[in-house]
Amino acid sequence: MSTLQIIDLRASVETKEGRKQILNGVNLTINSGETHAIMGPNGSGKSTLAYTLAGHPKYQVDGGQVLLDGKNLLEMTADERAKAGLFLAMQYPVEVPGVSMTNFLRTAVTAVQGEAPSIRTWTKELSEAMKRLRMDPKFAQRSVNDGFSGGEKKRAEVLQLELLKPKFAILDETDSGLDVDALRIVSEGVNRAKENTGLGIMMVTHYTRILKYIKPDVVHVFAHGEVVETGGPDLADRLEEEGYDKYLPEGATESALA
Amino acid sequence: MTNDTPNDTTQHKDTQAWSEVQLPTGTGAKDPYAMPALMPSSADRAIRSFNVADHTVPTRKQEDFRYTPVERLSEFFEPFEPSGATEVSVEPLEGDDLPDGVEISAIDKGEAPMGTVGEPADRIEAVEWNAVEDAMLVTLRGEVSAPVLISVHGVDDRLDALHLVIEAEEGAHADVVIDHTGVARLDECVEIIAGKDSRLNVTSLQQWDAGSKHVGGHRISVGEGAELRHNVVTLGGDVVRLRIDQDFAGPQAKSEMLGIYFVEPDQHLEHRTMIVHNQPQCTSRVIYKGALAGKGAHSAWVGNALILPNAPGTDSYELNRNLLLTRGAIADSEPNLEIENGNIVGAGHASSVGRFDDEQLFYLQSRGIPENVARRLVVHGFFSELVEQIGLPQISAALMGSLDARLEGDAKAIKAADLKLVEQTEGTDFDGADPDDADPDDAGFGSEEPSSDNNEDSNEPRHTEEN
Repeated sequence: MSTLQIIDLRASVETKEGRKQILNGVNLTINSGETHAIMGPNGSGKSTLAYTLAGHPKYQVDGGQVLLDGKNLLEMTADERAKAGLFLAMQYPVEVPGVSMTNFLRTAVTAVQGEAPSIRTWTKELSEAMKRLRMDPKFAQRSVNDGFSGGEKKRAEVLQLELLKPKFAILDETDSGLDVDALRIVSEGVNRAKENTGLGIMMVTHYTRILKYIKPDVVHVFAHGEVVETGGPDLADRLEEEGYDKYLPEGATESALA
Repeated sequence: MTNDTPNDTTQHKDTQAWSEVQLPTGTGAKDPYAMPALMPSSADRAIRSFNVADHTVPTRKQEDFRYTPVERLSEFFEPFEPSGATEVSVEPLEGDDLPDGVEISAIDKGEAPMGTVGEPADRIEAVEWNAVEDAMLVTLRGEVSAPVLISVHGVDDRLDALHLVIEAEEGAHADVVIDHTGVARLDECVEIIAGKDSRLNVTSLQQWDAGSKHVGGHRISVGEGAELRHNVVTLGGDVVRLRIDQDFAGPQAKSEMLGIYFVEPDQHLEHRTMIVHNQPQCTSRVIYKGALAGKGAHSAWVGNALILPNAPGTDSYELNRNLLLTRGAIADSEPNLEIENGNIVGAGHASSVGRFDDEQLFYLQSRGIPENVARRLVVHGFFSELVEQIGLPQISAALMGSLDARLEGDAKAIKAADLKLVEQTEGTDFDGADPDDADPDDAGFGSEEPSSDNNEDSNEPRHTEEN
């Protein structure tokens, strides 16, 4: 049983207009086996929260704590956070030309586990995981995300999630750019990881449609850099009906419908 | 638009020769680009001569030297007496015996094929020609079953000049590696002749020790139906400036040039390729990639391709990519394409200078990969395809190791990795070449056995490498 605690997290980013505060004191606790949906309008800081937790250098932490089983992630580099058990499935996975998926995955698994997996079990595990995600075996020989379609990139993210076996996964808009079939396959992968390892999930999404496949235990509404409302799965249904209007400044409109 | 006539209008006033060409009239007549084939090309302007005096002393104001720190190379601008100290030996890349079909001889200046592949294109090359009295000729015949290593080892920083001629005879298939090591200030010319229907792979490694300078160039002729692969790997030397000039001796030939360089603080590594398409239906590819790290690291790549009116069906492409690993490094990259023939298959170029991608690093790190390993992966990715294309497995792995060591910035590791490459490329006890073929007294190519000093040097770090 693990716990991810976000306590009064404040973060800012450098923009052309100067430093801009984006996270204004986020408080959130996720336990193993729980799925939390973070929903909110565009520009509310959802993705900033995801990247700040993972340690992207672009975001500067101005205050607060993020504890994974009591250890402060904010004092760690991005790779140390991954080793501590945090995984970020990115909305826009980065292309790394010339580095094959197999080489990358094996290097990552070796780094996270602290030792290289034996070739035999590794090859088997990789090919089975790829098969479950309906990925062509040739995928393993391609360069990381290089020339992948939107759907292929998301599958590759979930493949990493299944192989790296983190304690907590942040899914940043994992549903964006997916057709119905791909959404189902990707969601199955996430659910499988949860079932197998007791993964805790923080699912950042703008739309409700992924919630049909990955059922949240808790739904948070995120607006102007903080959690403004927390409820059960029914909160997502209400957002689908009403949109984010009531959380937005006067005059703006936003829909939560897919 | 094809025509077989020379493009120099001043000598061809006979308009009959241009009868098929519609000369532009009206406003178009004032546009020099309306009729590209009538413009004098760079090749027409450039001086080619064995005479030092015919070439002006390089300054940065000259197009060919605009990226060159000429003040660091001025010793090569005036004729000098070569020390003759540079050690040259020919060995098998692996094993003890040179494969069949390899003949080594010393030839005097003026004796063909020395001096038959083009003429010096700048003063540095003319100074080299002026300084040498002979050349080592490596003749390749038939199917040469294993790669041949020409080891060029500098022993001190006295000025020296060296002339090598590599000739693949008609139909020959061969791989040749020229490995430059040690300390040297060398003005070198390598003439390469790929005979009709031959397949020749020449790799030139520059892994000089600090304090070294290496200038000169390769002059290359690719015969009818021949395939040339020319690889350049430059990792060491304070200043390295190489011209690679190549043209075709017959139609339907292929030329592929790959280059890899890694530039460290205060190094200047410059490569200038010049491909002249002077025969029909020939293909050329130039792909150079470099990484630069540290203050004062400077690379220059200038890729020239000239497609003459008499080269219809030409297919040419050149590419240069530079990866700046740190601040303070400068990469100059300039592709030049002159097309004087509209009837071609393709002519393209691409060039880029980019910084290390923080997003790539973050992505890899977010998967648990430590920063130094992530950097290595990205640079591996940058070079890996090219390293594989060099087509010599004996060298690829060692080269990757050598690049890694540079990336880590660990001087000791760099030294060890480089020697590993030497260790792999230099055979053990060389007794391959028939001593009668090369006359040591005459040629001044040094001993054919690696010197004992050299062996000691490579033994010591070998231990540190394995630890």
